[in-house]
Amino acid sequence: MSFFRPRRYAPALFVAVALLALAACGDQYPNSTFTHLTDNNRTISALWDRLMFLGTGVFVFVEALLIFTIIKFRKRPGGPKAKQIHGHAALEITWTVIPALILVLIAVPTVQAIYTTQAKAPDGSLKVEVIGHQWWWEFRYPELGVVTANELYLPAGRTVSFQLNTRDVLHSFWTPQLGGKRDLISNRTNWMWYTPDRSLAENAYNGFCVEYCGTSHANMRFRTFVVSEDKFESWAKHQAGIAAGAPVPTAVAPAAGAPVVTGAAMAGMKMPAAAAVASAAPVEEAVGYTFPLDKLPAHVVPTTPMPTGESTIKFDDALLASGNAVAGRELLTNMANLGKAPCLTCHVIKGEMAMVKDDQAKGPNLTHFGARHTLGGGLFSSDPATLARWIKNAPAMKPGSIMPTLGAGEYNAMIKQKLASGLDDRQIADIVAYLKSLK
Amino acid sequence: MANTAATQTTAAPHAAYESGLWSWIATVDHKRIGTLYLFTALFFFLFGGLEAFLMRLQLAQPNGHVVSAELYNQLFTMHGTTMVFLAIMPLSAAFFNYLIPLQIGARDVAFPRLNAFSYWVYLLGAIFITVPIFFELAPNGGWFGYAPLTTIQFSGGLNIDFWVMGLQILGISSLAAAFNFITTIINLRAPGMTLMRMPMFTWMSFIVQFLLILAFPAITVALVFLLFDRFFGTNFYTLAAGADPLLWQHLFWIFGHPEVYILILPAFGLVSEILPTFSKKPLFGYHVMVYSGIMIGFLGFGVWAHHMFAVGMGATADAIFAMATMLIAIPTGVKIFNWIATMWAGEVSFTTPMKFAIGLLALFTIGGISGVMHSSAPADTQQTDTYFVVAHFHYVLFGGSIMGIFGGIYFYFPKMFGRYMSESLGNWHFWLNFIGMNLTFFPMHFSGMLGMPRRIYSYDAGQGWEKFNMASTIGTVLLIIATLIFVINFLKSRKGGSVAPNDAWGAGTLEWSIPSPPPDYNFAQIPTVTSRYPLWDLKHPEMTSDISHASPDAATVADAHAAPMHEETGGKTAAELGIPMPFSTLKPLFAALGLVIMFAGLLFMHTDKFALAMTTTIGGAALLIGSLYAWLTSPLE
Repeated sequence: MSFFRPRRYAPALFVAVALLALAACGDQYPNSTFTHLTDNNRTISALWDRLMFLGTGVFVFVEALLIFTIIKFRKRPGGPKAKQIHGHAALEITWTVIPALILVLIAVPTVQAIYTTQAKAPDGSLKVEVIGHQWWWEFRYPELGVVTANELYLPAGRTVSFQLNTRDVLHSFWTPQLGGKRDLISNRTNWMWYTPDRSLAENAYNGFCVEYCGTSHANMRFRTFVVSEDKFESWAKHQAGIAAGAPVPTAVAPAAGAPVVTGAAMAGMKMPAAAAVASAAPVEEAVGYTFPLDKLPAHVVPTTPMPTGESTIKFDDALLASGNAVAGRELLTNMANLGKAPCLTCHVIKGEMAMVKDDQAKGPNLTHFGARHTLGGGLFSSDPATLARWIKNAPAMKPGSIMPTLGAGEYNAMIKQKLASGLDDRQIADIVAYLKSLK
Repeated sequence: MANTAATQTTAAPHAAYESGLWSWIATVDHKRIGTLYLFTALFFFLFGGLEAFLMRLQLAQPNGHVVSAELYNQLFTMHGTTMVFLAIMPLSAAFFNYLIPLQIGARDVAFPRLNAFSYWVYLLGAIFITVPIFFELAPNGGWFGYAPLTTIQFSGGLNIDFWVMGLQILGISSLAAAFNFITTIINLRAPGMTLMRMPMFTWMSFIVQFLLILAFPAITVALVFLLFDRFFGTNFYTLAAGADPLLWQHLFWIFGHPEVYILILPAFGLVSEILPTFSKKPLFGYHVMVYSGIMIGFLGFGVWAHHMFAVGMGATADAIFAMATMLIAIPTGVKIFNWIATMWAGEVSFTTPMKFAIGLLALFTIGGISGVMHSSAPADTQQTDTYFVVAHFHYVLFGGSIMGIFGGIYFYFPKMFGRYMSESLGNWHFWLNFIGMNLTFFPMHFSGMLGMPRRIYSYDAGQGWEKFNMASTIGTVLLIIATLIFVINFLKSRKGGSVAPNDAWGAGTLEWSIPSPPPDYNFAQIPTVTSRYPLWDLKHPEMTSDISHASPDAATVADAHAAPMHEETGGKTAAELGIPMPFSTLKPLFAALGLVIMFAGLLFMHTDKFALAMTTTIGGAALLIGSLYAWLTSPLE
C-alpha cells in the first residue's frame, strides 16, 4: 500500500499553516487586537505576549515529545519488546508540579491586570454613554449635551469612561484596536474605560457588536474616530447645538392635494420653544469639525452591496441633484397625507418638534445626520444615492430593520406585500436633500 | 436483571439473531440500542457538518450571499445544537451502551427498557428540533439561547419554542441514560472487578454520568423558566418586570461548562483503551488517570463564569474564575503526559484507531493551550466572542472529541460488526481529516485575534480576514471528502471487511474475550476478573506481571455463578444456554412518543389554537402515562 500514503501530504499542511502565519505578519490588519494604542490594550498585549511565549513553549515541548515518542518507539520487525511499565510516581508528580508553576506565572499578572483594568476610571474622564439598540449604536456625551449614533468621536490623550446600557437585548461593545470588549446587559449598567494614545491625531477604527443580538447582529457596526483634543472640542461644540445650514421653515406651498396638517392633528404634539423660534434663532454658521471624508481609511468605508435581483430598489438618481431641502423638511415633520407616522415619532432632530423623548427614541438621533459618513448601523455609506434607497426600503437593505418601508410600490417585508401608497422618488430626493443639509 | 436471571429456569423463546425492522424497533438489547445510537448520531453528525459547510460557503468571501441573515442565524444555532446534543453526546452514548456492559462483564444494562426509552426520546427529540430548519423555522437564538433575546418579546415565532422543548426532551433522554449507566456500573460488574480494575473507558463514562445528572438540572431549570415565560406569562426573563439576564447566563453555563467535559471525557476514555493496545503496554499511571478524570469533572463545576468575562461580574469574581479555570489545565496536562508515557518504551503500531488517538493528543493540546489563554480574563476580553474562541473549542471538540470517537469507531467496529474497517481508506480518512481540520480551524485563531466577531453572517471587504476565511472554507471541503471516505468505509466494511476474531487487536479487556459480534447474551459464563487486563492475564501474563492481582479463588468464591477468566466461543443461543433474555417491547417507544407529543402540543398555543394545544398535550400525557403503566406492570423477561 506504499503508493497510497496520504501521510506524504502532511507537510502540505505545515506549509499552509506557515504561509498563513507569515501572512498574518506582512499585511495590514485594520482590526488587529495586537495594538498599543490605549492603556487597556497595552495591558492586554503584555498578558498576551506572556501567554503566547509560555503557550508556544508548552506546545513545542509536548508535540516534540509526542512525535519523538511515536517515532522512537514505533513497532519494528526485530525491534525491542515493549517494556511493561505501569506508572512512575516521581515522574507523575513532576508533570503535575511543573504545569502548576507555569500557571502561577500566568495567574499573577492576570489577577494584577484584572484589578488594573477594572479599577474606577480616573477623575476627569470624559463620560460617554453607549446605548445598544437592535441593531445600531447610540452614543451620548452627557457632559457635552451631544447625542449621536454609530460614529463615536474620542479625544486623543484623554481617558474615556464608557457607561454601557441597552434598550433591548444583550449587545457587546468592541473596538478591537482600542481595547477589550464589554457586554451591554439589559436592566444593568456596565462600565469600562481606556485612554487613546495622545499621538492619535486623526484615526478611524471599526467597532462591532460582539454579542449575538438577533437577525442583523452582523450589521450592528460602528466607527470610532480618535481625533486631537481641539478637533474633538470643535466637533462636540457644534454637535451640541442644532444643525448648521438646515432649511428654515418658511412658507412652503404644500404639494398638490396634500392637506396641510390641521391644528387638530397638531394637538398633543409638543412644540418646543426651539422649533417655534427656529426661524428667529441665530443659526450657527460655522460647521464644527467632522472627520474628513477624503481622509477616511479604506477599512472604515462600508462595502455592503445593495440588494440585487428581485429586491433591487430602483431609484431615479437624477432627481437627487434637484432635491428641495425645504420641501424635504416639510415631509419629515408632516407625512400625515401619506398615512405614515412622521419620521419624528422615532427620530429626534434637535430644533424640530419633539414627538418623542430624546432618550426614548427608537431610531438614531438625526440632528447632525449630514455630518455622518455611514447609515444603517454602519452598514452603508451615507451618500445621497444610498440614503435615498434606504428611505425607500430600509428592511430590504438591512434584514429585520424596524425602519419602515416608505417608498410607494416597494415590497414591505413586515406586511409581506407591496406598499400601495408611499413616498415617490421626488419626495425622497427632497428628504435626502434635507437630511444631507443637517451638518 | 439480566445477569442474575441465569438462575431462573424458564427461558423466554428468543432467537439469538433476530433481524428485520421489527427486531430493531422493539429491541431492548444494549448492543442494538448502541448501534441505533451510532447510526442516528452519525447521521446527525453529517447533518450538522452540512450546516457548517453552508456557513463556510457564506463566509468564504466578504458580503457573501449564499444564505440569508435569518437562515444563517438558524444554521449556526442548529450547528451548535446538533453537534453537541444530537451528534457528540449520542456518539458517546453509543459507546456507553455498547461497551459498558461488555467491559464490566454484564449481560445487559441494569434497566434495558429504560435504555430503549432513552434512545427513542433522543431520536424523536432530535427529529423535533431538526425538522423546522426545512421550513426556515429553526431555532435562531444560538445554542446558548441567551435571554432576553429568546423571550417572547424579542423572538415571537415558533423557532425558540422548538429549541426550548427540544432541549428539554433531549435532557430527559440523557438523564434516564445516566441513571441507568450509574446503576449498571455500580451493580453489574463481574466478580473480581473492583472499581480500580474497571477499564478506563468505563471509568470516564462513570464520571460523565455523574456530570450529566448534576449538570442537566441546571439547564432544565433555566429552560423551565423560559418555557413558562413563553407559554404561561411568568416573568423570569421579562425585562419590563425587572429581570436580570445574568440569571440565564449563570444557569446555562453551570450546565454548559460541565457539558464540555461530558463531551470530551468519553473520548479520553476511548483513547485510554486504544493507546495501551497498540503500544502493547498497560495504561501508564492508571490511578492518576482515574483521579485526574474525577478532578476534571469536579473542577468543571467551578469554572462556568469564564464564559462570562465580558459581562462585568466585577474584578473579584473574574479573578476567582480565572484562577479556577487555570487549575483545570493541571489534571488535563497530566493525562496528556500519561498517554505519552503509555507509548514510551512500547511497540507503537500505527493502525487507524491509533492514528486518531495520537491525533487527539496532538490537537487537544492546542485546544488546551488556547483554553489557558482564555482563562486570563483581561486577555479574554479581546478573545471572547471572536473566531479565536471558535478555533479554540473546535480544537477541543473536533480535535478532541471527534478524533477520539473516530478512533473508537475504527477500534470497536470489528467488535460490533465482526469485520475490520479498511485500513487504507482509514488512512486516507485520518490524513484528510487531520489536514482539513487544521486548515479549517487554525486560521480562525488569526481571524479572531485580527478582530473578526463570531456569529456574523456577513463581513465587509478589506478587514484583513479574507484569506483566513477562504482557507477555512477550503479546509471544510477536505473535511467533507474525508467524512465521505469514512462513510464509504463504514458502510462497505459492515459486509465486506475482513473477518475479525474475538480479540481483534490484541487488547486486554473483557469485551475482547467474547465473539465478534457478541451474542445477545454477551457472556455465556460471567468471567472472574483478577486484574485490569484480564485477557492479557490469560494470553500474555508477562504484560500484566507488573500490575497488582487478586487471587482468583477469593473472587470466585464470592459468586457461585462466576467462571474463571476464559475466552468464549459463542455459537449457542440464549435458549440453549438457559439464559433468559428480556422481552422485546414497544412500550418504551410509545412512552417516548407520548412525551414528545405532550411537548409538541404546546406549540399550538402560539398559533392561538388553545383547544388543540390542550387536546394534544393531554393526549400525549395520556399516552406517556398509559405506556409507563403498561411498561411497569409487564414482566421484563
